[in-house]
Amino acid sequence: MVKSAHDYLDQREDVPVHPVGSKPRRKRRNGPRAWRLYLVLLPVFSLLALTHYYPAISGIYHSFYHWRPGYSSPFAGLSHLRDMLKDTLWWQSFEHISEIFAWGVTLGWIFPLIAAELIITLRSQKLRFVFRTLLIVPFAFPLVVRLLIWDFMYDPNTGLINTILGDLGLKSLEQNWLGNPHTALISLLFINFPWVASLPFLIFLAALQNIPTSIFEAAQLDGAGRLRRLWSIDLPLLGRQFKLLIVLAIIEVLQYGVASQILTAGGPNYATNVPVLAAINAAFNEDRWGYGATLGSVLFLIILILSSITLLIRRRQPKPGEFVSAAE
Amino acid sequence: MQQNRTLAIRRRSSGRQTQIIVATILAIFAFIGLFPYLFMLVTSFKTNSQFFHSYLYPALPLHFGNYVAAWNELEPYFLTSAIVAVSTILGSIILGSGAAFVFSHFDFFGRTFLFVLIAVLLAVPSVTTLIPLFLFMKDLGLLNTRLVLILPYIGGSTILTVVIMRTFIDQLPAELFEAAELDGAGGFRAYWNIMLPLSWPIIGTVSLLSIIGVWNDYFWPLLTITQNSLRTIPVGLTYFQGQNATSYGPLFAGYTIASVPLLIFFTFLSKWLLTGIEGGVPA
Repeated sequence: MVKSAHDYLDQREDVPVHPVGSKPRRKRRNGPRAWRLYLVLLPVFSLLALTHYYPAISGIYHSFYHWRPGYSSPFAGLSHLRDMLKDTLWWQSFEHISEIFAWGVTLGWIFPLIAAELIITLRSQKLRFVFRTLLIVPFAFPLVVRLLIWDFMYDPNTGLINTILGDLGLKSLEQNWLGNPHTALISLLFINFPWVASLPFLIFLAALQNIPTSIFEAAQLDGAGRLRRLWSIDLPLLGRQFKLLIVLAIIEVLQYGVASQILTAGGPNYATNVPVLAAINAAFNEDRWGYGATLGSVLFLIILILSSITLLIRRRQPKPGEFVSAAE
Repeated sequence: MQQNRTLAIRRRSSGRQTQIIVATILAIFAFIGLFPYLFMLVTSFKTNSQFFHSYLYPALPLHFGNYVAAWNELEPYFLTSAIVAVSTILGSIILGSGAAFVFSHFDFFGRTFLFVLIAVLLAVPSVTTLIPLFLFMKDLGLLNTRLVLILPYIGGSTILTVVIMRTFIDQLPAELFEAAELDGAGGFRAYWNIMLPLSWPIIGTVSLLSIIGVWNDYFWPLLTITQNSLRTIPVGLTYFQGQNATSYGPLFAGYTIASVPLLIFFTFLSKWLLTGIEGGVPA
């Protein structure tokens, strides 16, 4: 390394000296020069103050006001929260995301898990790579492209689904999928079927590939079949991944909105309305900025509570063999 | 031993059949998953009459003109998205890598508190800040500028960068930094000459996450940008769909064009994606 005068000027007196065998101390106390460290952090916090801290606090603050942008905002107390409790559309939107969540953590995980299990069953490394790639490709398409393509698939006249049903002689099953309140939500859930091109798939696959083969060989000698292996080895070892995925699913589902905005705009007749759309609608369409801010802040609170609970429960000691997680 | 061998033999004889079945099921999964995108690609070369006559199958001649027509409409959206994506990546890496290094490498008053102050923002959903941030940006007169997109995107990506890179730097061997210190390298040298060269994989990860964010974000640009020429790809594409709802060839050509940048990024960076996502979330 080229040394410059700067290097020596910058040299600090407190370079730690480690006695042989002691654990090297990594962190450096930086006493008199500490202000430089804060100088590095300053731009980060300045930007975040602008784009995150101030808006978040402003949103919570204005939840207690009749927010009238450009004018004075009279105090509203808890009236927005009272309105929210009586807002049937708001609570109905939670029924919808509950369905989306239930769907996501069952079918949305079973298909990726099956696909990941099938891939590691393949003996040819080449085939494993080919299928892994083919299965994940749809994941690399932009969200809006995926949604617009599925929007087309559901089109009642020229869409792929009705056309194929018609070709198969199943004309009676043809539907106006997104225009019918009974089928709209389920149609949104079927987007990206068979849901293999997803984060759960990548996480399951990485975790399963990291399980040492010696464990399977031992199990095989004990006469354990494929299903038994899935049940007694793979699933228990995936515990950490399931927990991570639950937290991600909670965060994702509470922020669900782009699909119902683009495909159905929350309709028909609020059949696909979700909390995010309710909050945006209150502010931008009904001019109830304070109420919209309240709904946004409540969503934050719900995410915070639910993900803390998930992260805190079942924090058990790692068992031997649990080192086989994808992260390491 | 004898038992071992019979077991192995039995497994091998039944094995080939199993392998074929497994590969077949996987092929079906892959086909169903990819079918809409194959359909998109095939349709993107068709005229409307080809579309109606051979709906499911490719039709000749291929009409590359669809791509020209689509590109002419999508070009401004591409420009905006590209400018915003590059600014976001550069900005968040410059800001975030320095902060991550400081958090990982030095011990100073308030270190844990300040780090938690950043990490806690991961739990704040965008819908919470959307409404107040919109009014704030409106007051600043930034609506219908590229800055209204770039600033919050850099902010959001910097949060991820700090958290993910700090975890990464924590795992770098301490000896590397100690050797440099004994050599007289100061903080900046340790950052520039040691940490950054080792951090390319993680920089790849956060860049990919940034570009996915920019290429997929919908509500923020929908609400803050109303001037057509400044729209981003996601919003511009829905607008484009409204304009071309019944000219299927150009429509699907447009979808294909809009997918290309993200597909390229994924091809080069996907192997680092998992490290970032799993490494950054507390277990």
